[in-house]
Amino acid sequence: MAFLEISSVSKSFGAVKVLDDITLEIERGEFVVFVGPSGCGKSTLLRMITGLDSPNSGTVSIEGKVMNDIEPAKRGTAMVFQSYALYPHMSAYDNVSFGLRMAHTAKTLIRQRVDAAAAILRLDKLLHRRPRELSGGQKQRVAIGRAIVREPRVFLFDEPLSNLDAELRVQMRAELIELHRRLDVTMIYVTHDQIEAMTMADRMVVLNAGRMQQVGRPLDLYDDPDNRFVAGFVGSPRMNFLAGEVVGADATSTRLLHAGGTGPLTLPIGGLQGQLKVEIGVRPDHLRILADGEDPPPAAIAFTGRVTFVEELGNVTYVHIVLDDGTPIVVGAGRGPRIGTDDVRITAPVGHALLFAQDGCRLRGRNGTGK
Amino acid sequence: MHLRRHLPHYLMIAPFMLLFAIFFLFPILSGFYYSFNDWNAVQPAKFVGLANYQKIIASRDFARSMWNLGTYIVITVPLGILVALGLALLVDNFTGRWAHVFRGAYFLPVVLPSFLAATIWRWIYAPNFGLLNMMLGWFGMPSVNFLNNTGSMIYCLIAVDVWASAGFNMIILLAGLKNIPTELYEAARLDGASKWQQIIHITIPMLGPVLFFVVTYGLISAMQVFDKPWLLTGSSFTTYGGRGNALLFPVMDMMGRGFGAVKFGEAAAYGFLLTLAIVMVTALMFVLRSWSDRR
Amino acid sequence: MTAKRASATSPTIWTVLKWTVAILAAVIAVFPVWWMINVVFSEPGQPVSINPRLWPTSLTAGLQTVHVIFAETAYLHAYMVSVCYSVLTIAGVLLFGSAAAFEFALFDFPGRRIIFGIVMLALMVPTAVTIIPTYLLTADLGWLNSMQGLVVPGLASAFGLFMLVQFMRAIPADMIEAARLDGASHLQIYWHVVLPLCRNAMVTLAILTFMQTWGNYMWPLLVGTSPDMYTVGQIVGMFNSPLSHQTVEVVMTANLLAAVPPLIFYLLFQRKIVEGIAMSGTKG
Repeated sequence: MAFLEISSVSKSFGAVKVLDDITLEIERGEFVVFVGPSGCGKSTLLRMITGLDSPNSGTVSIEGKVMNDIEPAKRGTAMVFQSYALYPHMSAYDNVSFGLRMAHTAKTLIRQRVDAAAAILRLDKLLHRRPRELSGGQKQRVAIGRAIVREPRVFLFDEPLSNLDAELRVQMRAELIELHRRLDVTMIYVTHDQIEAMTMADRMVVLNAGRMQQVGRPLDLYDDPDNRFVAGFVGSPRMNFLAGEVVGADATSTRLLHAGGTGPLTLPIGGLQGQLKVEIGVRPDHLRILADGEDPPPAAIAFTGRVTFVEELGNVTYVHIVLDDGTPIVVGAGRGPRIGTDDVRITAPVGHALLFAQDGCRLRGRNGTGK
Repeated sequence: MHLRRHLPHYLMIAPFMLLFAIFFLFPILSGFYYSFNDWNAVQPAKFVGLANYQKIIASRDFARSMWNLGTYIVITVPLGILVALGLALLVDNFTGRWAHVFRGAYFLPVVLPSFLAATIWRWIYAPNFGLLNMMLGWFGMPSVNFLNNTGSMIYCLIAVDVWASAGFNMIILLAGLKNIPTELYEAARLDGASKWQQIIHITIPMLGPVLFFVVTYGLISAMQVFDKPWLLTGSSFTTYGGRGNALLFPVMDMMGRGFGAVKFGEAAAYGFLLTLAIVMVTALMFVLRSWSDRR
Repeated sequence: MTAKRASATSPTIWTVLKWTVAILAAVIAVFPVWWMINVVFSEPGQPVSINPRLWPTSLTAGLQTVHVIFAETAYLHAYMVSVCYSVLTIAGVLLFGSAAAFEFALFDFPGRRIIFGIVMLALMVPTAVTIIPTYLLTADLGWLNSMQGLVVPGLASAFGLFMLVQFMRAIPADMIEAARLDGASHLQIYWHVVLPLCRNAMVTLAILTFMQTWGNYMWPLLVGTSPDMYTVGQIVGMFNSPLSHQTVEVVMTANLLAAVPPLIFYLLFQRKIVEGIAMSGTKG
């Protein structure tokens, strides 16, 4: 039995279905990130775990015990809010110790725990300050300190870094990873920022429109997405999608026509008889612009488009291209010769192409050659 | 389960809501009942239908108090608000310490209990010792008994009223003035608008909602005027309204009928008549506002 | 050239005018109060022609009058009654109002909107319609000439509730949820989180309630008819009544004594009072 189990949880607010039959197991000590666009239900799921919202159906259990009817404060969870939710009329010390004081913990024990948390978070010199006398990063650390002193079984973070500036965000990310390593407890983290999710998570849970899309290690999701949504959401810049039409299929390969292409293309994905319209997904890094006069490698994807603009970022250059049918394409290129706004030819090895059915499902093929 | 979850909420509002129901909702309903009865609080009430209402409307005191009220409102509300607006604009033109000093001075009369405004001014108006007559004396004019002269009494009340309430409205208007973005004035200045034009074309329209509140609130409280005329005329429950009933107002009339003549049914009916008048005036204000908004 | 001169002189005319009007208005606003003080602190009985009472002339005379009033009339007792009446009303309005506002502003429960709507309608009902039936109810309860008769009917202040709800609505929901996660009970959230957060609003409401109660003339006039329940307002009214044969110095001293507590409050809390009134006007 897993440490934390969410089984068949659904939740609606009125007619809006916010969570639709979510089932998920989380192991002790894992760092799990819920990620998805705003309104996907990730925060609601977090609030179900901590008890601020209750599901319409399904259960949440921790260490085998069903939590549905247990008070939020008694679940052994602690939450760090996006707004930090520090009490403005209390010092940092009083903020951190509020929960312990409410539970009538002995004063000396409170002191010990607060001091220990302050040492971990380097808050020692700030404990007498009021929230308005603290910087964004310091407030963040006080909010984490408030969670730490409760010695929870599960830490919950609700977009905790979104109010910080870019530089501080990177720094706090590292601090949180370090904190996780040090405390060795289960942490669940909600964010809409897939980069944050990729860098922090042991496992990522991608949500969209109240449904769980895929669960797995960040790189697995990047390389082997289950559907078009995950493929498009994970990775930056996003994956490119080309409309395609299957013209022939057998047990080991598929022949198709695609936007911007000149002739039929053969992909080593078998068993797709019966499919008609598909989408081909290729990440920008796997695309390459052909030099003038250079021929595409045999049996590779090749197509033509017009350059709209070029983002030169120094270490990498992104070339934005539009195909004849209006499909936008981004190509990641090295630091090469300047590219004008002419037509260019683009190529990618077939091994990196992913196929998606019209409903967004990934077409892996029956022989597993898709990956 | 459902009820148990919400029980704490109901428990927390219970004290307030109980008091509210007992001392506000119940009196309204019981007052409505009394208003159709002849009742002196000793003998059992006797149902008389609309007789109380008819008697009030036909009475000379009612006509007199309504006439007084009309005269009073028509002058005191516009004048009071004009003075308050002037004071607010004036204070708004000062900065720092002086703004603070003037605002503090203009607000001082509001701080005093309203009964005191009447009792202080009674002595200012007094025939021989009074400040006003002393000043008339400087110019060699004879002493006037302001509060015993049916022609001047209502103006004496209005002066006290403006003096006592202008500061209150000033504060609200001042808050409204502070909410007008300075960019609007800067833009108007670039367009070449004079100070006066800025007041007419920016300040007054932007103050619209606040002015509406001040006027409506002023009307509602003016219609219930009691303390000041009561004390200025040295009234009691048996004799009130001053000489020739020149300072007789509806609430005074109502109190007299209730506690002087011990006709509580009639007094309750009076309360509802007055409320009806207030509701009508308030409704009229809202109609006027939506009409001017649409224009 | 001419334009330049115009712009150089017109501001000074404007400035002179501005200061003149401002000072004149300030004199009119303050003088009656100043005059009241002067009448108290001057030799009694001097004719106006000799002493027009434009400034105080005798401190001892004033103190003497105060002493006489306290010693020979029931003024001190009325002071006590008024203080009790005000303090109890403030305590009740704050306690009951804040508890109800806490629920209306921050939580949802069946009937919340309707109940709150009814209370807000009460803001529009004039006192005139309720005062006589409320008096009769108070009389039925046997509360005439009692402190509870003065205080209790005024405790459910719709205005106070409105003001506190407005203020509490600004408290972020996160704050309440954080406290819940910290294990605070419903009452503890009210007491340790929400009440401290609206201290400003509570102080403002307390001051406004004080000024209103201290200045309330009508209700004590009806309920407190026996001399041992007289409030300051009633005593002042009696000193001023046509039947009283007090001299102007004594009457003005009675007036001044009634004005002292609100004046002290005003000097201490001017900003809070002004903010409270501005808020009720611009948000309402």
